[in-house]
Amino acid sequence: MEPYEIEFIGENRIISITPNFTHDKIYLICGEFGPFRAGLPVNVPLWLAIMLKQKQKCHVIPPDWMDVEVLENIKEEEKRSRFFTKMPNEHYMVEAKLILGSAAEDVPNAPEIKTIIKDIWDIRMSKLRTSMDALMKTGGGYGRLDHLTMMEINSVKPLLPAAMDNLLRMQMKTKKTAPSLNLNSSTFSQSGSSQNT
Amino acid sequence: MESTEELQFSDDEEEVTAETVLKTLQSAWQNERLSPEILPHQNDMVECMLGQIQHMERNINKLSKTDLRTSIHKMEISRIKFIICNYLKTRLNKIEKYCIPILNQERQRIETDTNYLTPSEYKYAQEYVLNMENHMKNVVLNKMPGNMQVFEMNKMAEHPNLQTHVFLKANETINGVVLEDLTGEDEEIDLEEGSQHILQYKPIADLLKNGKVTLL
Amino acid sequence: MFAEKVIELIKEVDRNPDTIDQYNDEKIRQIIEEMHLLFKLNMNDANATTENRSLWTTVQVRHSALERNKRCILAYLYNRMKKIKTLRWEFGAVLPPDIRELLSDDEYQWFSKYSGNLALYMRSLGQDIGYSGIDLTENLKPPKSLFIEVLCVVDYGKLELEDGDVVMLKKNSRHYLPTSECQTLIRQGILKQIM
Repeated sequence: MEPYEIEFIGENRIISITPNFTHDKIYLICGEFGPFRAGLPVNVPLWLAIMLKQKQKCHVIPPDWMDVEVLENIKEEEKRSRFFTKMPNEHYMVEAKLILGSAAEDVPNAPEIKTIIKDIWDIRMSKLRTSMDALMKTGGGYGRLDHLTMMEINSVKPLLPAAMDNLLRMQMKTKKTAPSLNLNSSTFSQSGSSQNT
Repeated sequence: MESTEELQFSDDEEEVTAETVLKTLQSAWQNERLSPEILPHQNDMVECMLGQIQHMERNINKLSKTDLRTSIHKMEISRIKFIICNYLKTRLNKIEKYCIPILNQERQRIETDTNYLTPSEYKYAQEYVLNMENHMKNVVLNKMPGNMQVFEMNKMAEHPNLQTHVFLKANETINGVVLEDLTGEDEEIDLEEGSQHILQYKPIADLLKNGKVTLL
Repeated sequence: MFAEKVIELIKEVDRNPDTIDQYNDEKIRQIIEEMHLLFKLNMNDANATTENRSLWTTVQVRHSALERNKRCILAYLYNRMKKIKTLRWEFGAVLPPDIRELLSDDEYQWFSKYSGNLALYMRSLGQDIGYSGIDLTENLKPPKSLFIEVLCVVDYGKLELEDGDVVMLKKNSRHYLPTSECQTLIRQGILKQIM
């Protein structure tokens, strides 16, 4: 999938805004939203929040996790853990990109937050590279990868699945000459990247 | 503007909201984008959403151009149209690429009423293969000597790689998924609800078609 | 060497994977001529193999060359068909003359049939519920904003929008247009999105 398609999926997440207008409930196909009362928080899909923001019709209320202290903790935890930790939501990168991209003035400490999120992404990416390396070295045809978000998974495509496909193809070829070849299918858990929670 | 009225499918008693249909369609699109082979069609969902769009478009025409709702509804319609178009186009791409094996399998599936293609898709696939065959015959095959003229269906067939590795999330706990091991000792794994894995497509193809896993 | 020409044909396709070259009529003709020659030699020798076993290998080699020629010619055609298909999605049912020229008459006929089959399929979408079909070549990207700013690159002329408004697309003119209605013109290089 293309990154913009994952962004599109992430745009369905519900976030809070403070509208500066008043309007009855709006009945959309994806659900009903509102009523909108000027100054009172209301939940809408992210795409709608961004759209209203572009029309200067609302302020975005940053999600709870979009906070320096919370993010610093997540970052420390991510550094400490051998496994991937659970992120605040499955589309944290999309949410961060869109909110910080079009409503940065609504987020306190936006530049700092941007940096920490980038750090968290980098730590996770380097962990992912190590895990992929371990998976390939153990001749794996299978891996477990809990808590990775869709955008993160997408970043190792097509490399990881293609490498595993090729490995399998080679193993099938060698199998003909060496039938007793010992193959351990490894999991990411063994090689250090997953938690059973 | 009401769009959330209950929708009734004629086949069963279950009542489904437009919201649920949209979610189902979106995950059908996601799975179709990520699976190597063509999946059973979701024509009911597509038609239901087209009906909703049509209904919504009519209502928008009643609103003034400056009404805030006009642009919001238009945006939502564009989003849903994107899913529908991308979903159907993804299917067409697979139908074209794997037309020969798909048609062979589909003929058997039609007999058991478990067809994967919609009638329109089936017709499209047949016509597509026929055009390909005729083109190759007219341009080169008919000019070749003797037995070289034959259009060899099986040699022209492109097959999806079902052994390719895919990422997935388990929607519910599934025990005893068998991973083929080349040493002959198959390995069994359990997929806990919410857990994510990378593994070969083939052993989970049926789980995907039954909605027990989602591709990532 | 047998089956040498056909490799040149394959290399030709491989050289420009993203664009389509002129259909190589002459080379195809030569390869088929070679096939007829090989076939004829084999027919003669095949009758003689009963007496002369040493000819058998020669016949086999020629047969392989025949198979290879056939396979590669079909690969050439198939590859071009794939490229011609993408033209339908990019330009619609009417091809620009300079691209039309690159196709052989048979290929153009195939293009028309492909185009017709696709149009038939697209018209059938939603027919049961009174829908007049969907153009799948539209809505290729998720919508980001309902309107986008575009620059017109050529003198195009009038464009009528869904709401009835008419805009004049002149070279170097800037417009603020509905995203959904200018995608095709952007793909055709008539409009350019201003970021």
